[in-house]
Amino acid sequence: MNDMGLIVRTLARATIPLIGIFGAYIVSHGHLTPGGGFQGGATIAGAGILFLIAFGLEEAKKRINKNLYSALEGIGGLVFLGAAMLGLSVAFFYNLLWHKGPILNGHPGSLLSAGYLPIMNLAVGLKVFTGLVSALMAIALYRRWQK
Amino acid sequence: MIFFYAALLVGVAALLAVARLILGPSVPDRVVALDTLNTLVVAAMVLLGAAYSRTIYIDIAIVYALLSYIGTLVIARYLQGGLM
Repeated sequence: MNDMGLIVRTLARATIPLIGIFGAYIVSHGHLTPGGGFQGGATIAGAGILFLIAFGLEEAKKRINKNLYSALEGIGGLVFLGAAMLGLSVAFFYNLLWHKGPILNGHPGSLLSAGYLPIMNLAVGLKVFTGLVSALMAIALYRRWQK
Repeated sequence: MIFFYAALLVGVAALLAVARLILGPSVPDRVVALDTLNTLVVAAMVLLGAAYSRTIYIDIAIVYALLSYIGTLVIARYLQGGLM
């Protein structure tokens, strides 16, 4: 009994892309609507949990690469730090992209506005998603009670 | 104003579901009560989003509906004995 029944698996095939796209919407619209990096990342990690629950641990072990997720979590943190250090000639966390940037300085309320905030939301979303999925895979792989 | 009354009715139904959640003699009773409560909370979120006339509140209702489904599925997976 390593995965759930046919109905749950078929429903998971339909629901996982829906949750992933909605989480990506929350992350990318973090400066316009409620939500942001953490909330969207946790929502996408919910899709990962649904995959792990519906298809079982063996299938998830084949699909989830530990080194890739660990590296992506580090890259998320580095992108956040890099966006914070863009305007280091003025101050730390100075929003240089908003004040005189080539892109991301659109009219407030549009998607390409708010300077480095979308980049930071994407970085935090990537970090939260990969971190939560890695933590849940580690917990699922623990299995000390069977020895 | 009608949306506030509808949300109040949903709140009364949620109180009844909470009573079953507290009183439920067996674990599956409590799980079904929790699932009912999740659906009622989604309905209350949509109604209150209409009452305060904010469309962005519907996003939270969608997220809650998706994640409460996963939560119920995890409890069902645990109860059927199929550990990871």
